[in-house]
Amino acid sequence: MKHNRMRAHFAGILVLLFAGVGQVTFAQESHIGGLTGEASRGKKLYRRYCVGCHGPLGDGRGENAPWIDPKPRDFVTGTFKCRSTPTGALPTDEDLYKSVTRGFVNSNMPSWLPLTRQQRADLVAYVKTFSSSFREEKPPSPLSMPSESAANQQSIQSGNELYQKMNCWSCHGKEGRGDGPSAQTLVDNRGYPIPPYDFSVGTRFKCGESNQDLYRILMTGLDGTPMPSFANGLTPAQAWDVVHYIRTLQMNVKRKKQTAENEKKDGGESKPVGAQPE
Amino acid sequence: MLLRLRAAVIFILVLGVVLSVRQPAHAIPAFARKYDLPCSACHEAWPKLNDFGIAFRDRGYQLGNEKDSPIWQNPSYWPITFRITPEWHRESSSNQVVDTVPGNPALGQTYQDVTTHGFDFSGLDIWAAGTLYKDISFSVLPSADSSGSFHFENVFVRFDNLFRTRWLNLKLGKFELDNLVSEKRMLFLSSNGGFYQVYHYTPFREVQFRASNPPIVQFNPVFGIGDNQLGVELSGHSENSYARYSVALLSSNEGSPGLPNRTYDGWASFNQGFAVGKLGVQRVGAFAFFGQRPTFFNTSFGSPVLSEGLGNKSLYRAGLTGLFYIKKVDFSTVFVHGWDNVFLGTGTAANAPLPVGARGPTWNGGFVETHFTYSPQLVFVQRNEIVRMSRQVFRTDPRDLGDIDAFSFGLRYYPFMFSRAGLALHTEYSLVRSYKSASPLPTSTSPFGPDLRSSSVFIGLDFAF
Amino acid sequence: MRTRINYLQIGVTAALVLLTAHGAGTRTLRAIGTSSEAREDTSGAATLSGIVKLEGSQPVATRINMAADPACLKMHSAPVMSEEVATGTNGALKDAIVYISDGLGNRTFDPPTEPVVFEQKGCTYNPHILGMRARQTLKVANSDPTTHNIHPAPQNNREWNLSQPPGSSPIEESFAREEIIPVKCNVHPWMKGYIAVFKHPYFAITSKDGTFDLRNVPPGEYTIETWHEKYGVLTQKVTLETNQTRTLEFVFKR
Repeated sequence: MKHNRMRAHFAGILVLLFAGVGQVTFAQESHIGGLTGEASRGKKLYRRYCVGCHGPLGDGRGENAPWIDPKPRDFVTGTFKCRSTPTGALPTDEDLYKSVTRGFVNSNMPSWLPLTRQQRADLVAYVKTFSSSFREEKPPSPLSMPSESAANQQSIQSGNELYQKMNCWSCHGKEGRGDGPSAQTLVDNRGYPIPPYDFSVGTRFKCGESNQDLYRILMTGLDGTPMPSFANGLTPAQAWDVVHYIRTLQMNVKRKKQTAENEKKDGGESKPVGAQPE
Repeated sequence: MLLRLRAAVIFILVLGVVLSVRQPAHAIPAFARKYDLPCSACHEAWPKLNDFGIAFRDRGYQLGNEKDSPIWQNPSYWPITFRITPEWHRESSSNQVVDTVPGNPALGQTYQDVTTHGFDFSGLDIWAAGTLYKDISFSVLPSADSSGSFHFENVFVRFDNLFRTRWLNLKLGKFELDNLVSEKRMLFLSSNGGFYQVYHYTPFREVQFRASNPPIVQFNPVFGIGDNQLGVELSGHSENSYARYSVALLSSNEGSPGLPNRTYDGWASFNQGFAVGKLGVQRVGAFAFFGQRPTFFNTSFGSPVLSEGLGNKSLYRAGLTGLFYIKKVDFSTVFVHGWDNVFLGTGTAANAPLPVGARGPTWNGGFVETHFTYSPQLVFVQRNEIVRMSRQVFRTDPRDLGDIDAFSFGLRYYPFMFSRAGLALHTEYSLVRSYKSASPLPTSTSPFGPDLRSSSVFIGLDFAF
Repeated sequence: MRTRINYLQIGVTAALVLLTAHGAGTRTLRAIGTSSEAREDTSGAATLSGIVKLEGSQPVATRINMAADPACLKMHSAPVMSEEVATGTNGALKDAIVYISDGLGNRTFDPPTEPVVFEQKGCTYNPHILGMRARQTLKVANSDPTTHNIHPAPQNNREWNLSQPPGSSPIEESFAREEIIPVKCNVHPWMKGYIAVFKHPYFAITSKDGTFDLRNVPPGEYTIETWHEKYGVLTQKVTLETNQTRTLEFVFKR
């Protein structure tokens, strides 16, 4: 009889355990288009590819972190630069997927394009488990993006005025060389110095290369950095004007070729994500 | 006996110490330290590349994150990797012809197994590779055998993204022929298992003929897919390196420097990967080689004038390759068909008459190599390989003369996995059976002996930093 | 047979208990301050007041240079001083936050419906230190003729960063969790302020005379903390009886 009771206890504990596991797993998926990423698979990939920089706890304190500048992202805070959602909000799964796919220029984060879509989706699912925010909140819907206006002289002129009025120059400089009066004072959310983007160099933007990406950076801000969201201060039409003006600051970029490649890129990698499941 | 036991005890002790001391090494393998990525990021199991590693290599050792050019590196960065393997191994060969009474050949010969074992170490690789500038990469690999005599395993400069397209990259120098299954990155190290039989196969008759007429044929084997060659290569790849091609024009001298041969070989390979759901990337490919080899040399007062080969006769290899992943298990598969011209197959100079009834030998071969990657730190490996002659030089030759069965299995355990150094405990057993390839006894009436079996047991510490 | 029933029963019960517990857990998380016994029942409440002082040589305020943005510079005829340390007579310390850090137990409090306002004026923050409640509405206003970006740098709340051009309507935001959050404007690096978020109403920010006042505190044992942006935190334990009025003195030493 005593034996039986013990068994019952044991069963109860088992149920507890399973229920516990169930609780943990419900938030461990990612959905990218028709793909479902799973954290359990993502964990193995993370241990293989990511752990050296982002660390086993996802806090950006991997063994290589001391030698890396800019520092690897701390996933625990749930703060991400490249989002389609408003400032302060969580990124969507697609946002994270694009970041994993694209990599970050001028940082140690490479493009993980050689991994399959499924693998990248699995990684996104696992990365989300590091921050409790993803269990407590849902990312809001992405900012709407009206279609781009014509990049004519009038638009560029208006963009120039807004660049002055919105104090873009305080950090990015009057000529977009990243040498504004506040440039030297900027730090990221972990206290490390972070230089404002120098448009004249014309390297790729952190969160993508197309005008759409640039619009998104402007309107969502880069959370964790001094770059604010201008969603409050600019109308969509004004934002497009600023985008057009900013392009004129990239003196060293061959315009035609770049846009052509951008379109190809967008069509090649990001579009099919939603359109065609694996 | 006692001595052997003590040696074993000491070895185990040393092994224990090495495995338990997991302190970070201070030296840094070339690329891992440049990019701060763990070995496992590019290697399925070092040295075998994974999809990310393949793409990295295809881009000319660049990640494309604008930190590739050496101008972005710390000035003290020096892109060099050392690799060597201290080891214990046991080699055994069956059906060796030995004197019945040692030291007295007159009393006759008999077949016997010959077995040796002991401590040893492999040759040393000192590999420097990296970028000279954005889109210009290089590799220099001086490699020594275990006596310390060096040769250059590879030396090349590569220009990437010509005309701003990743489909055009140009490489000049001595390099490994691009193929889906790389012999240089295999997970086998022993003297029997450490190479692919089909990549180097020469029909047994051809070997016999060459052995009996050494001055005529300079190159033995005639051609090895696994041998690095001198030449120029044009290659390309898709952005994720799922689609890849390579065409190369090669000197017909098996990569030996200083011996231009006045004829050229051609190599082409193509492979395509498909992402299949949760299984991973499946790759299939094909390759072809066509070349010529001299059958005799110009002579000066009877001695051959090296590098001036004459009577060039052709040979080809063609095959299919595949890499298949099913979760933690993956298969590397290769099929090769080979043909050598009858002059090559019989070791006959092109200006001399052929043996009556001789034909150019053809053969087929292939292998399935299985890896079970339990984790990035533990991989079990296994390989089955066969080579079958499809046309012997003489109709009267036994059908299975020179056929090969090979089997290997082992495991590699990496006690730590980070971006500073690589160490693997490598254990392996390999067995190769070569049909009718043992030397015949002097008393035998047949020109062929029994099957030859050789086996290796290998336990070593393979490391790189 | 009997044992099997036991086995099942206990298992199912355990699962139910767990689910309920989980549900309860989420509820508390979602609803900081839905019920509020303490707030409704103010009879017998105690009052805690006192002063925060700075002992030692009085610091000299540093001057802020606003030359980087002429729009800011033009607004001030007199030199603008840093608000990091402001003292009154006898070492009275301004802009210290006094609050109950422990002792309220499981009491929860509804956030007030009226918003608090954090104003950017003359390229400084007004107030320099703002106290507010978790989930209370925060209105950030820009009264300057220049564009600011309002960038709180929280540890426990989500970080956000919004640009606010002159003449635009106030930004409405809120914070979910208790925390003292540094706020800065990256465009004007001298602009620094703090938003202190509490889940209860028992906090005060010292005025120029260094005094504070915590009213309607239910009787009990409390840990009271004082926080100052430069001098850190001081702690005192205090027991409040019914209807008691107590005074406390906090002294920061330089």
